[in-house]
Amino acid sequence: MKSSKTLYVGAGLLGFLALVAIFAPLITHYDPTEQDLMNTLLGPSMHHWAGTDPLGRDVFTRLIYGARVDLAIGLSAVILPYIIGVCLGLLSAWKGGKTDSFIMRIVDTFLAFPFYVLAIALVFIFGPGIKSIIVAITLGGWVAYCRIVRSNVLVAKEQDYIHAAKLTGLPGRRILFRHMLPNVISQSIVFAMSDIVLSILAIVSLGYLGLGVPVPTAEWGSMIQEGQPYITEQWWLATIPGLMVVYVGFSLSLIGDGLVARLER
Amino acid sequence: MTTPLISVQNLTVEIKTGRGLLKAIRGVSFDINLGDAIGIVGESGSGKSITLKAILDLLPTNARITGGKIFINGVDVSGLKPKARRALLSDNSAMIFQDAIAALNPVIKIGDQIAEVPRYRLGKSEEESKKIALSLMAKVGITDGESRYDLYPHQLSGGLRQRVAIAIALSGDPKILFCDEPTTALDVTIQAQVLRLLKELRENSGLGIVFVTHDLAVVNELCDDIKVMYAGRFVEAGTVENVFTKPTHPYTFSLLKAAPDPDKAVHRLFTISGEAPNLTQPVVACPFAPRCFAATSECQTSEPNLLPMAESLSACFHSKNHVNWASEDSEKSVAR
Repeated sequence: MKSSKTLYVGAGLLGFLALVAIFAPLITHYDPTEQDLMNTLLGPSMHHWAGTDPLGRDVFTRLIYGARVDLAIGLSAVILPYIIGVCLGLLSAWKGGKTDSFIMRIVDTFLAFPFYVLAIALVFIFGPGIKSIIVAITLGGWVAYCRIVRSNVLVAKEQDYIHAAKLTGLPGRRILFRHMLPNVISQSIVFAMSDIVLSILAIVSLGYLGLGVPVPTAEWGSMIQEGQPYITEQWWLATIPGLMVVYVGFSLSLIGDGLVARLER
Repeated sequence: MTTPLISVQNLTVEIKTGRGLLKAIRGVSFDINLGDAIGIVGESGSGKSITLKAILDLLPTNARITGGKIFINGVDVSGLKPKARRALLSDNSAMIFQDAIAALNPVIKIGDQIAEVPRYRLGKSEEESKKIALSLMAKVGITDGESRYDLYPHQLSGGLRQRVAIAIALSGDPKILFCDEPTTALDVTIQAQVLRLLKELRENSGLGIVFVTHDLAVVNELCDDIKVMYAGRFVEAGTVENVFTKPTHPYTFSLLKAAPDPDKAVHRLFTISGEAPNLTQPVVACPFAPRCFAATSECQTSEPNLLPMAESLSACFHSKNHVNWASEDSEKSVAR
């Protein structure tokens, strides 16, 4: 089946990167933050596969250590808003009435802010760092899940199987989590896949703006920013981290497409 | 007289629509007791399904009960909190739906769906619940329950799905079973099997049945009493025998006439012309008058009430003439 192929290829690409990131110390013998001022701005060679940066650090090493940071933040910055959004969406649509209006007004408030304005403001308030990034992305990201799940619940609520479950007198919790949740969650899972790409982009953008992971930790966004002044001569410094983002985005899109075909029949 | 198990008194339901407030049910009353079998028939939009939904507290959000009372076991449900109302309902009643595949949860094994009420509402242990589920499967005629326990709804045939739905409905040991056209989506042989099953359940366990359908033959097969619904009201009510042999409302008369008779060869089946009235407008005349063969100017003045006529109840100004309709009408159709 074509859809499973898409799913497996995407998962394979992402899995490969994850393995490389996990086993980074075995793949490269350089340290991602160790400077070598005698060998700065070298081009790609046998010793430095992707060259070295202005401080003589091995770019390839920084890329795969950066994958650790970016993938980890990308994933964790999606899990939290996912859980919050799904729970509030369920609650909102299930309770209806005042609860629904209240939650939806909060959602509207968050939607009224452009995401990056919100994220930058929050990171500015909390100070740069991994924690602030995750908080910022969570605060900006949960609304999408909330709306997706809410609209799915509103549809499922009028389905006969939910009516039937209500009629049999099962406890509300049981109906909500056993009967409703598995039937309304697929769309949000698919969205989460593309959302990981968005949050990695957000991390990279914040890193580029200097509001991301503090130096000298290897991270793709700050690598792009550091490489920018050399773009005409040592173009690979900014380009290769950018291509890494594309690679991750591509594999997550494949996973997302595969999941759409699989979950939504 | 003892209090009826479920009693509906002068129920009215309104639905908010884009074209205004639609009076879907305009004063419906009936009682149900153990062992009763009541058929509610009517065309689409006559309010028969909404009546069930109103009783079972399943009205869509744009609809609400605007008048009348529903008593369960003598308790007025309008005064109850939603939770207490739901508990009272599920202790006394259950429902089976038209489309079994929609009424079963697609992601849960059928056995687990049947075992759910014993397990999570009645608080039985897991093994006990499974045992109850298996015995329910046997009761509704699902053979080889042990091996079918782990199947998902989409792996079953239509007839089996409806049997699973019935087993789930029975799992809470209801006294009244509400059926919303449960045989409409099935082919005739399966339909006959499901009807036989419902008949058996009624005879063996004294289950009361309320059967909503537009299929007169099914009502004839299963029910003792029939209510004919038109434009949100009962226009005729009585025993199946009386209503089928001597209808006292022109609508019932025409409906029965429209049903094909296998013994008579006809060139073309009889139809009731026109369409059901728009219930967003206030009803000032008999709502069936524009489509009625017996209508006179009297029918335009006010809406007739449901009154005793012969052995049934009929809401028609001309119901006393019902004995003549058969001959009159055939003359008319010849003249046409």
